[in-house]
Amino acid sequence: MPFREINSRVVEARLEPGRTLFSQRGAMLAHRGRVSFTPSIQGGRGGITSMIGRRVAGEAAPLMTVEGDGTVMFGHGGHHIQVIELAGDTLHVEADRLLAFDGTLRQGTMFMGSQGGVMGLVRGQVTGQGLFTTTLQGHGSVAVMAHGGVIELPITPDRPVHVDPQAYVAHHGDVRNKLSTALGWRDMVGRGSGEAFQLELSGQGAVYVQASEEKL
Amino acid sequence: MLAVDLAGDGVKAKNGSMVAYDGRIGFKKLTGGGDGLRGMVTRRLTGEQMEVMEVKGHGTCWFADRATEINLVDLRGETLYVEADNLLCTDSGLRTGTTFTGLRGASQGNGLFTTTVEGIGRAAILSDGQAVVLRVSPRYPLQVDPGAYVAHTGKLKQTLQSGVNFRTVLGEGSGEAFQIRFEGEGLVYVQPSERNTVGGNV
Repeated sequence: MPFREINSRVVEARLEPGRTLFSQRGAMLAHRGRVSFTPSIQGGRGGITSMIGRRVAGEAAPLMTVEGDGTVMFGHGGHHIQVIELAGDTLHVEADRLLAFDGTLRQGTMFMGSQGGVMGLVRGQVTGQGLFTTTLQGHGSVAVMAHGGVIELPITPDRPVHVDPQAYVAHHGDVRNKLSTALGWRDMVGRGSGEAFQLELSGQGAVYVQASEEKL
Repeated sequence: MLAVDLAGDGVKAKNGSMVAYDGRIGFKKLTGGGDGLRGMVTRRLTGEQMEVMEVKGHGTCWFADRATEINLVDLRGETLYVEADNLLCTDSGLRTGTTFTGLRGASQGNGLFTTTVEGIGRAAILSDGQAVVLRVSPRYPLQVDPGAYVAHTGKLKQTLQSGVNFRTVLGEGSGEAFQIRFEGEGLVYVQPSERNTVGGNV
């Protein structure tokens, strides 16, 4: 467990020699010990092809490599921070929401259209994720930023969860998502309840939801 | 964030405030803040318009709005006075309406009218930062900054008091030229943040 939550907006990471961390550039608040920060052009692990992939996909959040011996505190923009533990499964999150993550995690990009074709693309537009999203896979922990506090909702096969696309932060596990619409004649005449589009998540895993409908 | 467990019953909530739900839940917009035709007309006239939806079904529903804090108020027949903007969710058994507040309302920067919630049940109100609940009794009246006032319950008489003096006129005011004075018996909810008000600028 390299990340420790100091308060809801600051996390502290323990560094040992031989262990690297990736974090968003400029997100360091304070550090103790001998720690070096180097901008990571490649942007996370995954090789040169994944780097080009991220550039093309517009998912290239500027990252830096953090190495050394000591502790580092991270925080950014007064946003709430949620630490997510991964045990071999895949986390789907937007690149600009990533604050810091273990160097052992494999980073990649996923084309929204690969899950559900055209509807996947529409879903990406509605959630503000764009056409691509970032994936992190492996064993380790990730610090994710959100506007307002975050709650974790478990998803089980018999209990699918519906989420407001604007309040969606991230999800992990074996989860299928699809955009469900509850459009009725009321929405057409401007009398909608403001909940016309929902993201339906089903399968096995968890989804993280923020207490706000604003983007970062 | 507020979680509501529904078992076939319904709640009234601010339009678009749902962030997640599981189970089977339907959303329907209520016209005129859920007060029927008469309420719709008064709300249009008073500018206390409230976009309310009815949430009904089986399951759990989570509500949140702009990352603001949520406070639960239990009502046992008394009346809660709250701004329409600060009201997130109410039990469907509670009645909502509008009342005239006079000059005080104008100084708070939220108009001449305010929303009332009465009946037996629970209401969730929003505040920018964790709200404090201050008790008012006949011996201890309370002065509140109009911009920090959120809601109140009980039998309270409100008066607007001003501390305007020659310094304020010269533009050297302390920014606390107006306060609302509460007298009587009841509770006042105050937030640790101030809205933009006329009084706050002088």
